[in-house]
Amino acid sequence: MNRTRAFLKKTAWALFTIIFVIILNFFLFRVLPGDPARAGIRDPRLKKEAIEMLRVRFGLDKPVINCFESLNPIQVGSCAVNPFDTQFFIYVRNLVQGELGISYHTNRPVTDILAERLWNTVLLIGAGQILSIIFGVALGVFAAWKARTSIDYLAVGSSLVAWSLPTFWLGIILLFWGSGHGFPLAGKATPGMSSMPLLQQWGDIARHMFLPTLTYTIVYMGEYTLIMRSSLMDVLSEDYILTAKAKGLNAFQILKDHALKNAMLPLVTVIAINLGFTVAGAIQIEAVFSWPGLGSAIYEAVVRRDFPVLQGAFLLIAVAVILANLIADLTYNFLDPRVQTE
Amino acid sequence: MESTIQPSEQNQLLSRFSGFWQSFKKNRSGLIGLGMLVIILIMAIFAPLIAPYASSSTSSAGLSDIYNPPSAAHWFGTDDAGQDVFSNFIFGARVSLTVGFFAAFISIIIGGIFGLVAGFFGGRWENFIMRFTDIFLVIPDLPLMVVIVALTKPSLLNIIFVIGLLGWTTTARVVRSQTLAVKSRKFVLRARAIGAGKGHIVTRHILPLVMPILVVQAVLVVSLAILNESALSFIGLGDPTALSWGQMLNYAFGRGAMSTGAWWALVVPGFGIVWVVLGLTLLGQGLEKVLNPRLETHHLMPGRPSVQSEAGWDVAKKGTLLEVQNLSINYVNEGQLPARAVENVSFTLKEGELIGLVGESGCGKTTLMLSLLRLLPAAGQIVNGRVFFNGKDLVTLGDEELNDVRWKGISIVFQGAMNALNPVRTIGEQIAESITQHLPGFPKENIDGRVIELLDLVGIAADHKDHFAHQYSGGMRQRAMIAMALACNPQVIIADEPTTALDVMIQAQILELLDNLRKKLGLAIIFVTHDLGVVAEMCDKVLVMYGGVTAEYADVDIIYNNPKHPYTQELLKAFPDLTKPKKKLASIPGYPPRLEALPAGCRFAPRCPSAFPRCHTEQPMLHDLGNEHIASCHLLEASK
Amino acid sequence: MSTDNFLELRGLKKYFDVGRPSLFSRKSRDLHAVDGVTFTLRRSEVIALVGESGCGKSTLALLLMGLEDPTEGTVTYEGRDITHLDDRQRKDLRRKIQMVFQDPYESLNPTQTIEEIVTEPLIVHGFANTADRDQRVKKAMEDSGLKPAEVYLHRYPHELSGGQRQRVVIAAALVLEPEIILADEPVSMLDVSIRAEIINLLAELRITRQIAVIFITHDLGSVGFFADRVAVMYLGRIVEIGTMLEVLEKPQHPYTKALISVIPVPNPRLRRERIILQGETPNPIDIPSGCRFHPRCPVALATCKASDPPLVTLSKTHQASCLLLVQ
Repeated sequence: MNRTRAFLKKTAWALFTIIFVIILNFFLFRVLPGDPARAGIRDPRLKKEAIEMLRVRFGLDKPVINCFESLNPIQVGSCAVNPFDTQFFIYVRNLVQGELGISYHTNRPVTDILAERLWNTVLLIGAGQILSIIFGVALGVFAAWKARTSIDYLAVGSSLVAWSLPTFWLGIILLFWGSGHGFPLAGKATPGMSSMPLLQQWGDIARHMFLPTLTYTIVYMGEYTLIMRSSLMDVLSEDYILTAKAKGLNAFQILKDHALKNAMLPLVTVIAINLGFTVAGAIQIEAVFSWPGLGSAIYEAVVRRDFPVLQGAFLLIAVAVILANLIADLTYNFLDPRVQTE
Repeated sequence: MESTIQPSEQNQLLSRFSGFWQSFKKNRSGLIGLGMLVIILIMAIFAPLIAPYASSSTSSAGLSDIYNPPSAAHWFGTDDAGQDVFSNFIFGARVSLTVGFFAAFISIIIGGIFGLVAGFFGGRWENFIMRFTDIFLVIPDLPLMVVIVALTKPSLLNIIFVIGLLGWTTTARVVRSQTLAVKSRKFVLRARAIGAGKGHIVTRHILPLVMPILVVQAVLVVSLAILNESALSFIGLGDPTALSWGQMLNYAFGRGAMSTGAWWALVVPGFGIVWVVLGLTLLGQGLEKVLNPRLETHHLMPGRPSVQSEAGWDVAKKGTLLEVQNLSINYVNEGQLPARAVENVSFTLKEGELIGLVGESGCGKTTLMLSLLRLLPAAGQIVNGRVFFNGKDLVTLGDEELNDVRWKGISIVFQGAMNALNPVRTIGEQIAESITQHLPGFPKENIDGRVIELLDLVGIAADHKDHFAHQYSGGMRQRAMIAMALACNPQVIIADEPTTALDVMIQAQILELLDNLRKKLGLAIIFVTHDLGVVAEMCDKVLVMYGGVTAEYADVDIIYNNPKHPYTQELLKAFPDLTKPKKKLASIPGYPPRLEALPAGCRFAPRCPSAFPRCHTEQPMLHDLGNEHIASCHLLEASK
Repeated sequence: MSTDNFLELRGLKKYFDVGRPSLFSRKSRDLHAVDGVTFTLRRSEVIALVGESGCGKSTLALLLMGLEDPTEGTVTYEGRDITHLDDRQRKDLRRKIQMVFQDPYESLNPTQTIEEIVTEPLIVHGFANTADRDQRVKKAMEDSGLKPAEVYLHRYPHELSGGQRQRVVIAAALVLEPEIILADEPVSMLDVSIRAEIINLLAELRITRQIAVIFITHDLGSVGFFADRVAVMYLGRIVEIGTMLEVLEKPQHPYTKALISVIPVPNPRLRRERIILQGETPNPIDIPSGCRFHPRCPVALATCKASDPPLVTLSKTHQASCLLLVQ
């Protein structure tokens, strides 16, 4: 009963957050001064007709959010006919239909651009996340088990250094190193590869992925190691570990049967909270390695002042993180019996 | 406040700080972090004096100056504009640190206030603030920063505000939970009971305990702000007029340092970021460790090897199940003298016997019990003595053989069963585990039946088998713990304060259960407790411990009706007796000794009403008074 | 000295809303922490409130301190109704009623010195004269057995032992010269050898300073010579109240009888027959019908399930609520 309730509550909350992000996304691009479309129409060199044309093209002739502005006689427009014919509702309607506008730079629909890049980012983050969790947890368990030995100090020390590395800088350094060792320096695939057999294509992608994934793994592994170590240290000093020891279980059995699950539970929460952080890393890595994902889309959009792409990419990333967070949260509830039954 | 108390408050602040510094000094990683930061701060402050070139010496740059490798003139080479990388690195520290500190300042103020208000006032405020925080916690912050900076002017001020205004969420959460924790402590309730107002409680009680956490958090937030600034600059959203380390990297990466192989232009600025962030992280960890000291030990760490002297022990007596001879245990911590937690304790346990081990907190009774199965924490070391169980010396037994004795020969019912049971495994699983561990031949299909039988034995219905510890009440958990202890039919059960935290009636139920089981199964029990009444009701023999040594050891009737040790005598007078309600209770002056400051002579001497000079200098021997009655007191020498 | 109407509780109740049991039920449920408590406290009297966890004794203490607002009933102090006072009206009253908590480790702020802790109540109550303040602090500390006061003034709580800490708490209560001290399990966290010290200290204070003490405990054994009267609580109600000797020697309620029988006597020659109640105290959300003790009562009759027994007067000072006494 309570589990259902928690499930509904969390899902509703995630939905609410998504709505908040959608609204935020709309207003950021309306309120802040940087958008060239609006900067453009204020350009004194343009003729009045040209301005009017631009206003209509970008939908800026409509009231922003509601018809209260229609009290102003100049602003009446079509709003008098349809109260939902405002910039905000048009934005929402387009969003529901999957339209995120047209790229200033390539004149292609933003949705198409993002769609082909989304999976590349998921591939990169997925691989990096899995590897950093596996290695981070393993190293953390080992460090906690051998606490206060030189192995432990080495693991903690290197994790702290890894944690302190700016992601993009590590990427640059690895790129520098990789360039001398025959690794591809940019992109996801060598041009012309698509005519090759599938296995070779995959091998090529894997070679392209190696350095970005390595960067990702090193940076996040440090954090997971530290968290796993401290979580396991806590668990291993609990009384029930002493009980297990008194029961005659050996160290391996105690770790396997009594410590790991308990220590992993806090890690699930941390992974969930970290997702936003993870995306920050992905942007930097993709920018360095020109990996064709959402992160490099953001990077390129910033460089080219391509605001529809920036707006779309931000929205997509935020929604993805919120949903992934929800999944992690629900997983936690499912795994921990103390939450299940109360 | 009043001017008159200010000087003393300042002194206290000073003494508090010096106390803090004393413990921080011992923290190596914290000191290293602090040192790293001091170096970089000095460098940033005195940048014009240190840097070999002025910050904007672009004018003279020609094509031949671009990306020159390190040389005597340019220690770390030149960059894409022909500028000295080393000088830019030094001036860049100013920019990066400024952004980091000011942005973090904004975050800390906002997060601190939000957290404090939410935690302290609770109710609607808390709900609103925490919901708001949750939203910002899940929105990925770097993309949001990118969007906002891209839409506004990428000036240093904007960057500071954007990073600051988006970086407060974790601080708010941390401060809120600390505020809640402090608020629920009894001294805040006491302040309310005195009549203190909210302002007084916040400034006098909440803030002093939230502040340390906030400082640690601030260190973390500064490092995150510096990382965020560098990422923003690298993406191309840095202030082009202020050359931060991130901006240097942006220029170098974007303008061909890679293709020209100018590694120095890429390595040096990044090294600065790593240096500062690592310094901050180490400092934060050091502060955290001082403010919230943890032992950094756990139950799987290898213990110290046992030591035995060759002399002073006999072979195991016949007819005894468990015989402890001259057992001594020290706690050994680096840089300190070993603490003598238990010294020279002996007792025997026969089949079906129930021995009570009585003493106040810190008398070494739990240490003694844990040492029997070599379950001491890592700092504990058996420094002498033997523990014979069925003729085998457990002190020297191999690890695997010892694991066979654990639970199958001797099992333990721990104090506070909530913590002694694994919270994420069902009670049934935990009982079954001990069966599969020790009785490998036990038919798998019968295990369930055996678990139910054991639960039934302690009065728990079978349908609770698949429940978790948190679904049990305190009394049931203790019953489950007993069922688990019985699973492998042990000969001896050690019950370590099994009823301490329980209500009187539940306590009586558990005691009755143990007593019945003992009679039914012929168990021998070592019952550890501080409660003299319980001992009188149940035990055959009693070992009274004081400050780690045996005070008196005898038959239960002798202990209560003819005690010889002054401590036993005084303790009985201090214990309320319902049958004599009008009797005034006597108290023993003073306090039990601390392990790190044991008295030189008899450990009870400072509190003993009959102590004489010799008691303060010489530790008394154990005197055998016949009839297995032993007591350690100088007064008994004459009577022997 | 007036003995009546000093502190009087009448039908005091405190229910906590614990929310709806499930998503689909409409009614929210109450936890009946204190469910109709009536008794009077005389000047410089010691009354022991005894009961197991969940019997409402701690909530009752918070009600008396004005730290929780009662759902129903009244509290009068020297004839004045103090049930619902606002913070300002209550502030003066707080000087008269002080509280001592169970855990002296928790009830002292670790960042304050002993001097700050004991002076704090005076500052809160606006004693501006520092000379007078120091005088009072010194007296309160020495009356609490922290002699000489100077030795302790500049120490921190963690430098003191458990017993000393509890004395600091008592000194911080005494400094306002209260007339009532509410002591919530003040010795249960202390070692046996120093419990007597704290109890004896409280017993002394009622003689030297005419302070009445409400002593809340789960341990009937410890109330012995110290209490004038004993009130036994079960599930939010007083089930038996009487003088110490009446309750300990001639208990009338089956619950009191059982409680007394299970208190261990420190003499192996006096091992007695114990009345062990089965099961556990029901949770105060679903209170049993009729007599709330009937499901665990060893002598319950069929009628106990149906009718809730009133407090029956057995002597001028002794009352108990059991149907067996009505007949």
